[in-house]
Amino acid sequence: MTIAFTLDNFRITYICIATFMWVVSLVLSYEYMRHYERKGRFYIFTLLTYVATVGVFLAADFYTMFIFFEIMSLASYVWVAFDERAASLRAADTYLAIAIIGGLTMLMGLFLLYDAVTDIGMDGSLRFNSLKYLYDSMRLMGDDRGVRQIWAAGLCMLVGFGAKAGAFPLHIWLPKAHPVAPAPASALLSGMLTKTGILGILMLSRYIFLPIFADKSSWSALILITGVLTMATGAVLAIFSVDIKRTLACSSVSQIGFILTGIGVSGLAASDLALSGSLLHMVGHSVFKLILFAAAGVIYMNVHKLDLNSLRGYGRRKPLLKLIFLSGALGIGGIPLFNGYISKTLIHEGITALESYMYYGGAAALSYDIIKYTEWIFLISGGCTVAYMLKLYICIFVEKNKDADIQAVYDEGKPYMNRATATALTVAALIPPALGLTPGYTMRTIVDICADALVINRDAEYMLESFFTSECLKGAIISIAIGIVIYAGIIRNVLMTEEDEYTDKWPGWLDLEDKLYRPVVLYALPFVAAVVCRFLDKLVDITIYFLRKGIFADSGEKEELAEGNRLTYCLGVIAGKLNRIRRRYLKLKGVRVGKPVNFVHKFAMDYESLKESRTVIFRSMSFGLMMFCLGLVLTVAYILITRWW
Amino acid sequence: MDPLGAVFAVLTLVIFICAGIFALDYMKGKERRKSFGVFFAASMLVEILLCAASNLVTFYLCYELLTLISMPLVIHDRTKEAKMAALKYMFFSLFGAYFALFGIYNLGRFAGSLDFIMGGSVDAATWEQHGTILMITAMSLILGFGVKAGMWPMHSWLTSAHPVAPAPASAVLSACVVNAGVLGIIRSLWYVLGSINLKGSPVQTAFMSLSLVTVLMGSVLAYREPVLKKRLAYSTVSQMSYILFGLSVSFGVYDSDNALSSISYSSDALTGAILHVMAHAFIKAALFLTAGAIIHHTKAVKVEDMRGIGLKMPFVMICYTIVALGLIGIPPTGGFVSKWYLATGALSADIPVFSYLGPVILLISALLTAGYLLKLTIIGFFPGEEYRLSHAGEDIKGYRPGLLMALPIATLTLLSVMTGLYPEPVIELIRQIFI
Repeated sequence: MTIAFTLDNFRITYICIATFMWVVSLVLSYEYMRHYERKGRFYIFTLLTYVATVGVFLAADFYTMFIFFEIMSLASYVWVAFDERAASLRAADTYLAIAIIGGLTMLMGLFLLYDAVTDIGMDGSLRFNSLKYLYDSMRLMGDDRGVRQIWAAGLCMLVGFGAKAGAFPLHIWLPKAHPVAPAPASALLSGMLTKTGILGILMLSRYIFLPIFADKSSWSALILITGVLTMATGAVLAIFSVDIKRTLACSSVSQIGFILTGIGVSGLAASDLALSGSLLHMVGHSVFKLILFAAAGVIYMNVHKLDLNSLRGYGRRKPLLKLIFLSGALGIGGIPLFNGYISKTLIHEGITALESYMYYGGAAALSYDIIKYTEWIFLISGGCTVAYMLKLYICIFVEKNKDADIQAVYDEGKPYMNRATATALTVAALIPPALGLTPGYTMRTIVDICADALVINRDAEYMLESFFTSECLKGAIISIAIGIVIYAGIIRNVLMTEEDEYTDKWPGWLDLEDKLYRPVVLYALPFVAAVVCRFLDKLVDITIYFLRKGIFADSGEKEELAEGNRLTYCLGVIAGKLNRIRRRYLKLKGVRVGKPVNFVHKFAMDYESLKESRTVIFRSMSFGLMMFCLGLVLTVAYILITRWW
Repeated sequence: MDPLGAVFAVLTLVIFICAGIFALDYMKGKERRKSFGVFFAASMLVEILLCAASNLVTFYLCYELLTLISMPLVIHDRTKEAKMAALKYMFFSLFGAYFALFGIYNLGRFAGSLDFIMGGSVDAATWEQHGTILMITAMSLILGFGVKAGMWPMHSWLTSAHPVAPAPASAVLSACVVNAGVLGIIRSLWYVLGSINLKGSPVQTAFMSLSLVTVLMGSVLAYREPVLKKRLAYSTVSQMSYILFGLSVSFGVYDSDNALSSISYSSDALTGAILHVMAHAFIKAALFLTAGAIIHHTKAVKVEDMRGIGLKMPFVMICYTIVALGLIGIPPTGGFVSKWYLATGALSADIPVFSYLGPVILLISALLTAGYLLKLTIIGFFPGEEYRLSHAGEDIKGYRPGLLMALPIATLTLLSVMTGLYPEPVIELIRQIFI
């Protein structure tokens, strides 16, 4: 296998976005990192991650993509662990574990894919272009084993890419890693690194699993369901969170869910409306998260706190920061005239198109009800987005701090960011309205130039003519209404204490990482495995030990016996034991017994006397004569016997 | 010397030289330097002779000699632990060698000659007639030579003997001497017995099972092991069985495109196995030398005690991290390429269950490898705020290893990365060996 690159308009677009994001982040980090030690480490690995990320986007095949993906995952570890606080190191461990498990699962997928591809004689190239329609064409050929293998490969790779993208249930690293990483790094983690995961899922969905017949695409159904779960989980987590960066991180999970939902829907439907929406939301989300995390970073570098109660009222007298944050918030909330509205509308239109298609009897891999629920979850999640952005905005820029002294300090009007940072952030903040105001030109161009790389079918409807029709506005208005209801009804009433403070009411037992992944992966599995393996390890040693104690043992005879021989010793011991039993029996019956006899000694003495008398006999004349007589008798008997026969 | 022997011999030479240079510094002022030097050099000589052997009898002689000559390296410290480990080493090695010898006797009876000829010299008629005894022969050869390569169940000598030796000796024992077992299996099965006949037999199943059990067991135990050098020894057990697994799935295929008699021995798994021999040798030598450098300068032996080591010995630890990533199989290092070939080779071998089980186990083991190797990197470079506060202002100049220590480690690291970045010549060479 060799490394292969490709470059098309989609990739150029995304590399431009990546470069822009890195530049803004580096401008911010120049100010943000002023007081940190070990900055060199941060910058080196930021650049390394940049190179690797660009490599991921340039890759022409899955193999190259995997290689750069791994480098990117490991290089970005340094961001998370950077400040070496206990929480950072813990989050970094989670990040690394997810990255490595995801990476290895993806590698398994690559092995399976490579094998399946070589089996059908495609010279083992994993280039995206040569894999187009692979799954469905193998299904048409009736290659059952190949189909199963490709499905397994796709699943493995989905786990790998999904882990990086933050898809449910592997989203756990995002809410942990983002708050502890430096803000510029969080912006990149959330804005770009998750997008590499999305890119991988796009390449899987739009090449290998690109359906010939959309109504049988179980892959798209899987992506859709993953997307819906991710969208809902992220939104709920974000509403509960009281840490600004954690909220943004959970929001990332939710937005990734929107993107996945769009990808899934367009795989099920005949038109690629939703896919255009996903593409635009991907671009948009990169920009929103850059703006929002950078704003959070500006706040953090002044206040050094992240929880909402301390930040309350920080931005009341800071119009520029307020506008910057507002641009990102309105964008991500899908408010009309900002680009988030355009992308969400497209995805929504995709869902409703599929829904009406099925309503009139069209077939799809999922039932009509599920699509119907998807639409509602989509709208509610959109509402949640509005709600938690409202929560952040009102908390930081509208409300006053509970502590009047702190509020006075916040309102002092000291410079809070330098001119370079301000310029970079302003430029970034101009993008959402600029794109949102000219969707027919800018957004359409983006979709047009990226269409080939994502195999968007331009013969069918893939883009709306106008985004400001009542039909389109309806979805946004429903979402915004839901958002306001959630904010007013739940966040203000249920999620705040009597003293009007923000509290985290998320039940602790729902923490997947602490309650499920960590105990299983760190304790239960290693323990069981170690018990089994320790046994296997010691198997031969144990065998040898028992052999040495058993048949290869020393005889146990420590030295020469003091008296007698081995027979008398054994007999003596046995007789002694028997005698002891007899004495105990007699004692029980109340018979008096005298002193015990030492049978070993007794037999030895008997043996000695026997030996003595034997010597006397053997040496005597009479014994000699007796032996002579015996000899004579035997001889005579022999002669007689032979005579008679 | 044929190309296969040459690959192993060059590997031996490079690693012994690197470890030898390292030893110049490491053994400075230690007792019994002379005896160490003599047996170190003698081991190298014997192992190169082993690689150069061109028939099985010569090979066996060198194999036994290697055990005897390398034993003093294990016993070098003369502690009770070292003596017991050396005894265990002798016992297991000789036990294995006798197993192999039994196989060699049988081969002497059934094979046309004991010279190394690719494809073996046991003819088809003999296989027909004496199939069972030849299977037993193959199994005893695998078990016998497998002892040296640390294959379960006869692996426990390795984890006793390798850690007690001085670091340069551990490096050559773990990186080179274990390769003798691999070479033994290749030589006897591919070059004398004719591995194609074992394809699909219970021997193959047993060989695959044993190697996979070893892979998993070694990794799990390494993950649980607190002492760094012992951890590396368990890692050797696990990694050597990657190679054995690669061998076990590639007993050759009948080439259907050509004439009937044509057999192709070349396969991705075999390429992966030889590549992994190289990658593992460079990486494991570098790891043991790194461990040696750390122990030499800080006297710490447990991983937990090495917190902050990356700040004290940054160069050494950067090398450690690079080779550790290689052993896990993170691209673009040597371990990734070999793992790629091993796994895709296993998949394309189309053996029921094992074709899929093998790669899965290799990847689980890779995950555990990450767990046990990267732990040191993490606590080395990211010791945490508490450590930084309590060790602020500490003089860390004294921990810098000298050139004689740094150079071999750097060389081995570079070589391990090179095998990943530029593996084509080696792959081409291996293709030529196993036509």
